[in-house]
Amino acid sequence: MKMKIGFEVHEQLATKRKLCCDCPTDYREAPPNTNVCPICTAMPGAKPMPPNVRAVDAVIELALMLGCDVVVDKPIYIQRKHYDYPDLPAGYQHSSTPIGINGELVGVRIREVHLEEDPGAYDPVAGTVDFNRCGIPLVEIVTEPDMHSPEEARRFLRQLMLVLDYSGKVRPEPGTLRADTNISLEGGTRVEIKNINSTKGAYRAVKFEVMRQKALIERGAVIPYETRAYLESQMITVPMRMKVVDFHVILDPDIFPIVIDRARVETIRKRMVEAPHQREQRLAKQYQISQAVAGVIVSERELANLFEAVAKEVDPKLVATWFQTNLKKVLNYMKLRATEVKFTHKQLAGLLRMVKAKRITPEQGELVLRKLVKQPAEPEELIRKLGLERLEKADLRAAVVRTIEENPKAVMDYRAGRKEALNFLAGKVMKFTRGRADPREILKFLRAKLKEKKKRRVSRRTKRSK
Amino acid sequence: MSNFGHQTFHRAVEISSGVWMAEREKEVGRSAEEIVESFARAAEELPKLKETYYSQETYNVSRPDGEPSREEERTEFRKRFISIMPGADEQGNLRVEVAKWVEGR
Amino acid sequence: MGRGTLEKLKAILQGELSATENVQQALNRIKELDKKIKAFIELNPNALAEAEAIDRKLKRGERVGKLAGLTIGIKSNINVKGLRATCASRTLENYVSPYDAEVIRRVREAGGIIVGMNNMDEFACGSSGETSAFGPTENPAVLGRIPGGSSSGSAAAIAAGMCDLCLGTDTGGAIRNPASHCGVVGIRPTQGLVPAHGLIELAVSFDQIGPLAPDVYGAALMLETIAGHNPNECTSLDSPSANYSDKLGIGIENIRVGTSPKFSELADSAVMEVIDGAVEKLHDLGAEVVEVELPNLEKSLSAYYVIMSAEFFSATRKFDGRKYGRRIEEVCGDEVLRRIKCGDYISRKDQHDRYYKRALQVRTLMRREFGEALNKVDVIVGPTVPKLPHKLGTKLSPAEMYAYDYLTSPISLAGICAGVIKAGEASGIPVGLQVQGKVLGEGTVLRVMRALEAAK
Ligand SMILES: [Zn+2]
Repeated sequence: MKMKIGFEVHEQLATKRKLCCDCPTDYREAPPNTNVCPICTAMPGAKPMPPNVRAVDAVIELALMLGCDVVVDKPIYIQRKHYDYPDLPAGYQHSSTPIGINGELVGVRIREVHLEEDPGAYDPVAGTVDFNRCGIPLVEIVTEPDMHSPEEARRFLRQLMLVLDYSGKVRPEPGTLRADTNISLEGGTRVEIKNINSTKGAYRAVKFEVMRQKALIERGAVIPYETRAYLESQMITVPMRMKVVDFHVILDPDIFPIVIDRARVETIRKRMVEAPHQREQRLAKQYQISQAVAGVIVSERELANLFEAVAKEVDPKLVATWFQTNLKKVLNYMKLRATEVKFTHKQLAGLLRMVKAKRITPEQGELVLRKLVKQPAEPEELIRKLGLERLEKADLRAAVVRTIEENPKAVMDYRAGRKEALNFLAGKVMKFTRGRADPREILKFLRAKLKEKKKRRVSRRTKRSK
Repeated sequence: MSNFGHQTFHRAVEISSGVWMAEREKEVGRSAEEIVESFARAAEELPKLKETYYSQETYNVSRPDGEPSREEERTEFRKRFISIMPGADEQGNLRVEVAKWVEGR
Repeated sequence: MGRGTLEKLKAILQGELSATENVQQALNRIKELDKKIKAFIELNPNALAEAEAIDRKLKRGERVGKLAGLTIGIKSNINVKGLRATCASRTLENYVSPYDAEVIRRVREAGGIIVGMNNMDEFACGSSGETSAFGPTENPAVLGRIPGGSSSGSAAAIAAGMCDLCLGTDTGGAIRNPASHCGVVGIRPTQGLVPAHGLIELAVSFDQIGPLAPDVYGAALMLETIAGHNPNECTSLDSPSANYSDKLGIGIENIRVGTSPKFSELADSAVMEVIDGAVEKLHDLGAEVVEVELPNLEKSLSAYYVIMSAEFFSATRKFDGRKYGRRIEEVCGDEVLRRIKCGDYISRKDQHDRYYKRALQVRTLMRREFGEALNKVDVIVGPTVPKLPHKLGTKLSPAEMYAYDYLTSPISLAGICAGVIKAGEASGIPVGLQVQGKVLGEGTVLRVMRALEAAK
């Protein structure tokens, strides 16, 4: 069944003060209604302060990251959007006319990017409101209905979250996402869903809604145009029974318009963070690595930064492989994000250089990497501490010879065609060399040595038969 | 349970005053529309001009991000705010209605 | 009553009259008259204590502010921390302000003693003082007549000598109209000159706080106390602070005073007779009288009401009864409800262009016309209200009531300033001359007013 899905996504911007008052924006630890003042609680007569310029700049930057055209040299108005709901103390929400238009992200068109204000936190079940977050600047991103399945919707939201996270312009704490979505199935009506607070929630809400609408259409019922709420706890949507509202939009006479000139946009563009999807393309091309690997590398901004720093010094392909497998593995195992890594790119580069030069084996390299993540130090030093200095070829040869002499039964088994005997012998060599030898090298040596002796014997036997 | 009686009483008052309210709203609404129409007629023959939305033609009045307000200042306001709230819980949340879409379930 | 503001201030500063005595006298006068006048809704229980603090300062020879020991009445739509800003409405009957308006901060800093909150038309919706939920205000100058509105209580308090100075608010004429009817001095400052933070909105793009006073000196003193940039407000004008009270006596020789034939078209002849007399007096005092064109003056009224209603609708959405007070539509009077309904209708998406946009174009027109006229003259003088105040209780249709604002609303649309001073009386009823000045032309307006006052 064909469907169209679009989003309106809101995220809090990372500022110290609210958009139109001096209340702090960090409310997570604050008791209810402590980060408030007459302005953000809409006391009668309170007038907004001039808008926080950092919030405006953040929206411009995000618009650019989403490939939008920034609206320049034209007034951008702060509007009042009226509706009656307990979370909205003034009875209207500040919402700018578009700051960015015509963007695109992973094939989904971005219609508009706005600056808005967060309403208060309304608990619809308890019937209580906390205005601590009321007035925090938000970026609002409106997409075209370009997604055609719940999976596509999820993919888009994940990518969008990554862009926002990359930008460093939104609040870093989790759980600040607020999304509305609209869904229409072929032969149905557009339905809006509010109260979505996570990517997972969006996926489930869309999935539920598709099923619900499908069932209605199949029964021949008409889907009414309506606004529904997603109930996280039950993973269903319910009608909000809101009257069809006209927002009575007027330009806020209290706040003068903003005009953005080209110079301001260019300044922001220059210092702007490259968006992950753009970076992925670039990394793949510049370092000749696969799109998939590039995708893994850009999954965190710090990871990508680290990659590029290391790739400058060591063969990028090797670095990419290491990032995709070993480093990811170690970080996942230790439940660390790339931002939390303490070693320097020089240290990692040093380690990989040794791997590249075969001074240590990849397995040893991973051991060192683990140490490096736990307690950063120079790789040389770590190798010494771990006793991983490279084994001389002669020493390895001696160890192999000794192993063969000491384990005649295993040698016989191997020669009798029992291949697993080789692994047993390799383990013995490993023990002799205290893990300093490359397993591949050990096998190579062992095989060669065993073959050599066999050959000799065979030749003798031939002689005898003669 | 005790809440129930209280709520029904309120509902009853709401309904009876609601009838009167609806009458008054209708009547005043009608006079409002007449007035608005007469306003519109008054401006009919005037030239079309650019609209003046604001008291001044000024752009980009903004303020920098910076240190938030002092906590004592907010604490004092909080006390006064809570004292004028029609209802508040022990934590200082404003008490309002339970959402209709929750109530119905 | 009796002595002027300047003399009163001197007496306080020189210790002839203590601030405490001054406040006590005001309270006595209110007690004696206000049952009848209804100029105050609430009194400040700390007024005497605040006055004692000023007296202690004076005794110790400490610096005191411009308004030291003067008694101030505040219109009930301005937030005074700890007092109720009811807007004379049941909606905010129990709303105790949790914060001070910026002008209140300035008045306190200047040593003014707030004696109480003045009565007004409910939410400033009215031009007669009759729509207050706490009962109509009397006109002390002509008992039995309306005092005008919506700063009805403020003008009446001054006229009855209940306090020294008042802060009113003017959206479409709400300071000037009652000043005219009560025979006192009132100023509507240039849009943005006086900070609006804490003023409960009627229409935020027109609302202005301004002084009502028994004399021009008092008005000038109060204006220079409250005027000046507030960086915390977007719409506050970034103008240098001005001193008006020192330059009142310069005289008006060589000042060009404009009049318009439009005025006599719109105002009753009884009113115009008094106004013409005042213009003549200005001429005698050395002013050059010039005729100016204001071709569309009468078009402003409708535009004003359209814009005001749209903004009022928006501003009243916060009165949902959840955070404080009661839901406005459920308890307000008919006039307030009518304006909400008008605003609701006007700002609907499908109606927006037909009414609201059109009205905003008329605003442009008014700016242009007044701008052009004031290029030729320093001030324009004319009547304030087209009619004399009606008898209290007379039933007027909304349209008749709105017509009171014909001559004051254009100034609001144009964003300029205007002052009102008593020009004389018609059958014993005060008639105020409206002196309209350029943007930030308050100094000139006050000089013209002072010249007329001194010539009496
Ligand atoms: Zn705040």
